[in-house]
Amino acid sequence: MNDIKLGQYVHGYSLIHLLDPRTKIICCTFIVISILSNHNFWYLLAYLGLILAAIKYSGIPYKSIWRSMRGIRYLLLITFLFQAVLTPGEGLIQLGALSVTREGLSIGLINLLRLVILFLGSILLLMTTTPMKLSAGLEYLLLPLNKIKIPVQHFTTIISISFRFIPTLVEESIIIKDAQRSRGASFDSPKIFSNIKSYLAILIPLLASSMLRAEELAEAMDSRCYGGNPNQYRMQSLKYRRVDIYLIIFMTMVLFMGLFLG
Amino acid sequence: MSGRAENMIQLIDVSKEYKMADSCRVALQHINLTISEGEYIGILGLNQSGKSTLARLLNGLLKPTTGQVLINGMATDSPQEIRQIRQLLGMVFQNPDNQLICPVVEEEIAFGPENLGLPPEEVNKRVDWALELVGMQEMRYHAPHLLSGGQKQKVALASVLAMQPRYLVLDEPTSMLDPLSRREILEHLCRINQENHITIILISHHPEDLLDAKRLILLHEGSIYMQGTPKEVFKDMEKLKAIGLKRPGLYQLIQQVEEEGYRIDDNIKTIPQLVEMICRI
Ligand SMILES: Nc1ncnc2c1ncn2[C@@H]1O[C@H](COP(=O)(O)OP(=O)(O)O)[C@@H](O)[C@H]1O
Ligand SMILES: [Mg+2]
Repeated sequence: MNDIKLGQYVHGYSLIHLLDPRTKIICCTFIVISILSNHNFWYLLAYLGLILAAIKYSGIPYKSIWRSMRGIRYLLLITFLFQAVLTPGEGLIQLGALSVTREGLSIGLINLLRLVILFLGSILLLMTTTPMKLSAGLEYLLLPLNKIKIPVQHFTTIISISFRFIPTLVEESIIIKDAQRSRGASFDSPKIFSNIKSYLAILIPLLASSMLRAEELAEAMDSRCYGGNPNQYRMQSLKYRRVDIYLIIFMTMVLFMGLFLG
Repeated sequence: MSGRAENMIQLIDVSKEYKMADSCRVALQHINLTISEGEYIGILGLNQSGKSTLARLLNGLLKPTTGQVLINGMATDSPQEIRQIRQLLGMVFQNPDNQLICPVVEEEIAFGPENLGLPPEEVNKRVDWALELVGMQEMRYHAPHLLSGGQKQKVALASVLAMQPRYLVLDEPTSMLDPLSRREILEHLCRINQENHITIILISHHPEDLLDAKRLILLHEGSIYMQGTPKEVFKDMEKLKAIGLKRPGLYQLIQQVEEEGYRIDDNIKTIPQLVEMICRI
């Protein structure tokens, strides 16, 4: 049950917690741009240091971050291995028909680093920002899209509802899984086909209950006069302070540094 | 003469049919009912008797097939007035999980007032007020999925109260709760009715839930089967038996005591109260 803690908000009063959500969203966007437009190993390493420092500052224990990292360990491993083996270049170690190349190792390492940074950045954003502030920030930043007739408030309502229901769905899927298991379904049989069948047996009840849920939710929203106006109550929680400005200036400089180095 | 009845709910010869692919299902027929502001109404009925349909008719989630539903004189099938009707008449539903929309309790309660277009300061005030009313202040920043069923239902109650409705319709709000939370919710409803003068319309298939009601309406197969104070309704064993309803133990006792020739007060609501009264006789 504790797995669902992944990326869930942890209450706190650190500088990172108190930053305006817009600042954090902008910074995360900057991180994505700098990371993807750059393949300088040292720059990425420095970036990793920066994010680790930010995590330290936020007061979130490294241990819980480390635990959540384990969730993506296979993704990281596979990325690294594939890059290492499949990149042509100067061979270092021969593994049967495959050879690990020097170029492969370095590209693999860089991509590994990128993934880790992206992961840590988003985890930090999620763990230090209440869902409410996050949707408020998103709503504010996306509000200009209203001008070209994109109903931003509905999107943020959807995001907010997903934050509300992902944990509930996870809980429900665990319950269904246990129920199926108690009736003899197996989820780790060596036969892939029977596994797929078992998982379908979870998915279908889950879908059915989600349909019912959606219907009832719509009624609850209707009966409380939901009309999709911009959410002023959320937005009032947005306040720029001096730190926010400093941080954005700093991150912009880091971004440009990356662009030049790249 | 009140052409527009200001302070009441009126159902005038209301029927509701659900159209299905090849058939028609009558859920309610010829309901005539008046509920005044400030009342505490219990609606009792077995499954499928039309209780939820009635609830949904009251705030315009469903429109009557024939007849009229008037809330303070406004018809639920007029699109201009539906917003005002929904502000006047709040709904709490059965499933605590499927009526909480927001990822944080505070925001959940702000959702209704926010939709009414109130200024943020006012929304803030109402969030404080509503949380205090149901005793959930310390849960303000919690995520709903971490709360117990009873707490979720209290949040749902608070989030409707924050819209400051005049009427509150609750469709089996306690049927998924443990006995303790059930009692707590019922106590809150009593208080809200007495201290805040909000009309309560409590729906249940469980007679024990409805002992606090001043007026009990018994639905059976889409019609009003009986109506009166709980004491009056629960007195008629034969009629209750005919539709398969059991009466609460309390009223069984009351009747036995009265058959001995004693007169029991109408406002006895619990067995301890009854015992105390008998001791005084
Ligand atoms: N959406 C619907 N479509 C078709 N029939 C419905 C629908 N909702 C309810 N009914 C039917 O209307 C009748 C009354 O149901 P309902 O109002 O839910 O009763 P209750 O809440 O007392 O259990 C039932 O016979 C039910 O099958
Ligand atoms: Mg029902």
